[in-house]
Amino acid sequence: MTDRIVGLFLLAISIWYGVTAGDYEASFGDPLGPAAFPIMLSVPAAMLSLAVFARPDANPAWVTGTPMLRQFAAIALLLSYAGFLEVLGFPLATFIAVALLGRLLGSTWFKSTISAAVTSTFLFVTFDKLLGLPLPPFPNFMS
Amino acid sequence: MEMVSALAQGFAVAITPTNLILALFGCFAGTLIGALPGLGPVNGVAILIPLAFSLGLEPTSALIMLSCIYYGCMYGGRISSIMLNIPGDEPAIMTTLDGYPMAKAGRASEALAISAVASFVGATFGTIGLTLFAPLLAKAAIYFGPADYFALYVMAFATIGGVTSVNPFKTLLAAFLGLMIATVGLDPATGTARYTLGSFHLYDGFDPIVAIVGLFAISEVLVYLERVHEGGARMVPLGRAMPRLKDMMAGGWANLRGSVVGFICGILPGAGASLGAFMSYIFEKRWSARDGRFGSGDPRGIAAPEAGNNAASGGALIPMLTLGIPGSGTTAVMLALLISLNVQPGPLLFARQPDMVWGLIAALYLANIALLFMNIPMIGLFTRMLSLPQWILMPFVVMVSFLGVYSISHSSFDLFVMVGFGVMGYVLRMLGIALVPVVLGLLLGADMENNLRRALSISTGDFQILVSSPIALTLYAVTAAMLALAFVLSLRPPKNDAAVTD
Repeated sequence: MTDRIVGLFLLAISIWYGVTAGDYEASFGDPLGPAAFPIMLSVPAAMLSLAVFARPDANPAWVTGTPMLRQFAAIALLLSYAGFLEVLGFPLATFIAVALLGRLLGSTWFKSTISAAVTSTFLFVTFDKLLGLPLPPFPNFMS
Repeated sequence: MEMVSALAQGFAVAITPTNLILALFGCFAGTLIGALPGLGPVNGVAILIPLAFSLGLEPTSALIMLSCIYYGCMYGGRISSIMLNIPGDEPAIMTTLDGYPMAKAGRASEALAISAVASFVGATFGTIGLTLFAPLLAKAAIYFGPADYFALYVMAFATIGGVTSVNPFKTLLAAFLGLMIATVGLDPATGTARYTLGSFHLYDGFDPIVAIVGLFAISEVLVYLERVHEGGARMVPLGRAMPRLKDMMAGGWANLRGSVVGFICGILPGAGASLGAFMSYIFEKRWSARDGRFGSGDPRGIAAPEAGNNAASGGALIPMLTLGIPGSGTTAVMLALLISLNVQPGPLLFARQPDMVWGLIAALYLANIALLFMNIPMIGLFTRMLSLPQWILMPFVVMVSFLGVYSISHSSFDLFVMVGFGVMGYVLRMLGIALVPVVLGLLLGADMENNLRRALSISTGDFQILVSSPIALTLYAVTAAMLALAFVLSLRPPKNDAAVTD
């Protein structure tokens, strides 16, 4: 079942991809133009999607329950880290992210806090001070 | 003679202090990355690429460091296969079959020594093969025109994963997904914005390094979260600290047989070290297992796949350096690095930058000797690292990935893109769609399109040019034969084997 949905989804993507390519204007001097290669890709991609739809493999074992919630929490955490890195500054954002991620990975609050403190300090010192990669040091509102 | 003097020149490049230190660091880091379960050569090399940038390394030095990491990973992967029965990376899966039973029988240090010797033989064989064949292929490849390159790309995509992939439809679809993602951004020839959805962030397209780090490193965290509370694996005791010389050599001729098979697999585009280890083990089992001891700790069953995956990594460097087409996931990542350092691998690399190519080859010979020492007398250090808990390791890897991506562009947008690719990578892995073809598509898409356009501007739009040269025709014939074989094999009743990727 999963493969059938995936096949249809990718078929839709391929068709959209090919149709969108048709709008790209060809300029003179280049016999092929920007549209030809995407159109050449979209046709076999659509056919392969149909093949996946027609010959589905057994359903993958998607996780459910708590592990699934943990995965969603991890994705939310990583996205927030990406968003807040420049707002909170590297040391603080990394401290929070590592502590929470460690907790998700099954350690206790106490241990993950220590690991977070060590990891964020180590990475900040190594990359910002030793390797000279400038990182945002403080939260926005403090600087 | 020409080759000997070139190699001597290479050693002069390799033994400069910077390159020597980087090579040793690469060997050590690589062994560690390979040994730690959940960190394979692809994501290991990918997350260390930013280090190469922030150190401001010369392309030659960066390539030496990453290649040594690659070689180190191939050595290190076996450590957790033998000690924990968990492969440290994918190529080391076959080593669990005989390595762990031998370790459980109280001969862990012998198993580690046999596999270290096998790794050394395999890697040396692979490096010698690289020395001999890469210049030849580079000379031949000079005659390739744009149409031939286009045919070569078609062949690389069609044969990715080769006859071993579980579902060739999905593998091919993965390659097309990668190619489609590669077209996002401003079209280099005409400046048309393609698939940018009106966002200026996408005008440069997706940086392959950002995508690779997401696909491999971030998706690994999601995979690991599935089975957090299953409890840690138990490590077998190491046994005697220094194994006897006789025990180390127990692999015997299996070392060489594995090397040959692995090297051939390594050269094939997109196949890589996992296939090398797999084929070497199967071949060795057919060749020498009359007494049915395979699977219960036969030294030949440890030596063959280890020699195989190490020889394959040398072989995989050949198409990457001479044609610009990577032979494995890890070499794909290295290609991404070279491209971002403005080095275009290909036949001209040998003519224009001999110092880089021969310096790399010489460094690999030296790395092998260093790795043999790290992996026999110093093995205790690495086995102790295996007890590092995942809740320390995983967040560390994630943060290094974020740092690495941030160091490339200093933009939060790329961080979101990386997480997005991570989620995509996880879903694709669950669906049994291999990630390596996606990466190859993403990396080679632009070049493939350029060569197609170049060929057609030579012929002023006549598509016949694509099939008019004998080189291209040969390549298409090989492609058709391999595809036919893959589909015939796939139409047999499906087996639930894991996809062989690197």
